[in-house]
Amino acid sequence: MNGFSGADFGGTLATWVAAIVTIAVWSYLAGWRRLFVVMQHLLAGLATGYLVLLAITDVLVPRLLVPLVERPNESALLVPALLLAGMLVGASWLPRPAMAPVGAILVGGIAAYALGGAVVGTILPQIAAALPAGRVASGDLAGELISLAITTLVLLAFLHGAPRGRLTTRAATVGRWLLVGGIGGWIGFLVVSRLSLLVDRIGFLLGDWLTVLR
Amino acid sequence: MTNSAEPAVLDTERVARLRRAAPALLLLLLLALASLLSNGTGGLQLASPDRSRVDQLRRAIGELPNDALVLIAFDADLGTYPEIRAATRVAIDDLAAHDARLAIVSFTPDGRAIAAAERDRIARGAGEPPADLGFVAGAEAGLVRSIASVVPESAQGPTADAIRDAGGGIGAFAMVLVVSGSDISARSWVEQVGSRLPELPLVAIAPTFLDPELEPYLRSGQLTALLATLRDGVAYVEAAAGSAGSNPGPTPGPLPMLVGMLAAIAVLAEAALRRFARRRGRRPKGRAPA
Repeated sequence: MNGFSGADFGGTLATWVAAIVTIAVWSYLAGWRRLFVVMQHLLAGLATGYLVLLAITDVLVPRLLVPLVERPNESALLVPALLLAGMLVGASWLPRPAMAPVGAILVGGIAAYALGGAVVGTILPQIAAALPAGRVASGDLAGELISLAITTLVLLAFLHGAPRGRLTTRAATVGRWLLVGGIGGWIGFLVVSRLSLLVDRIGFLLGDWLTVLR
Repeated sequence: MTNSAEPAVLDTERVARLRRAAPALLLLLLLALASLLSNGTGGLQLASPDRSRVDQLRRAIGELPNDALVLIAFDADLGTYPEIRAATRVAIDDLAAHDARLAIVSFTPDGRAIAAAERDRIARGAGEPPADLGFVAGAEAGLVRSIASVVPESAQGPTADAIRDAGGGIGAFAMVLVVSGSDISARSWVEQVGSRLPELPLVAIAPTFLDPELEPYLRSGQLTALLATLRDGVAYVEAAAGSAGSNPGPTPGPLPMLVGMLAAIAVLAEAALRRFARRRGRRPKGRAPA
């Protein structure tokens, strides 16, 4: 009852294929690895085919080739893009000195976006939000002090190799246990989340496929 | 000549394999049984009793003006989407019930596949699917480029025209609903779009594993609303499905989750006991009296 497949022949076929593949993946639990490996290869093949199709139909043709052919005067910047795409396709045949600048441009561009975004969008606003100055007191002073104490203790737990006194060592131990407690609580949520995925699959088999739950 | 001992070895191996698999198979069987029985368990509740996050999302949707343009950024993962599927469907229906004009775009291939399937599902149910803005390549660079232009040339229809009239970029929208996955999450939206369009409300639905990463953005106000645990999602479905006229399909029942949690605790306890027993077995015995 996930609603993705219709009631027509195509939908019924899709439900059967999905159910058989689900059971084939679960066969790993009973030690039938060969069937599981076949399913892994099937997934990898389908994903690759889908990615190639998506790249051609949604990116290369409408955003690169069509503008270059239909409006060449307005698309001068796409010529180097076409050149870079061509070089990436032929990377295994081209000499390393020719490919190095292409890789550097790609990595540099990605790093610039990620780093710039992290500084402007995360670090600075989060520091600003944590500072008490310039905002009305939240009224939960005790909660904020506890947060500050826990943050300090957990940060102390990451002091590796630095010279420590007895007090710092004890504080770091407390911080480590707080960290373990925090991770434990989060893992509890995560177990619920993963169980919900398993329950969803069982619901699919019982509801969509066998129609027992309908 | 054939080795007569071979079949016996194979049988022994097979039995050993099945014995190893028995706990997992038993868990599957119990979960299946609990799924069948979960309708009749009134005493258990999965929805979070704290409705503050649900209220935040409902308020953000309720405050939208009529005919507001809303962008659904659909970048969920194939693996974790079932966890947020019901909440996402109800949110889309809730937006439609508030007369929002919806458009859908994806920045990840996984998200594009799920978005296309959701559009097909809505169309099959005789509803009007969100305007399709397709797939934008380039991950975070694509996000930044979409601030200037997000409507592809091939997009047709009144919603696409309205977006073009309002500038054609992400700034044309009154709100963005980010259906989050691991590759392009709500964090990418906050960092790349939120820092450039600070007045644009960003609301997010995300699977549980993203909760620790996204919660600080909710606290700092960079996200207007966030549903990032299964319990919040179920609470939102319970609160909004009726008024949105939505049928999102089944949400996980509390009984299978309880069975699963008990099984997980049993596995942990069994591992701890086994370790304890092994340690005791290794401990050297006391010295013999002289």
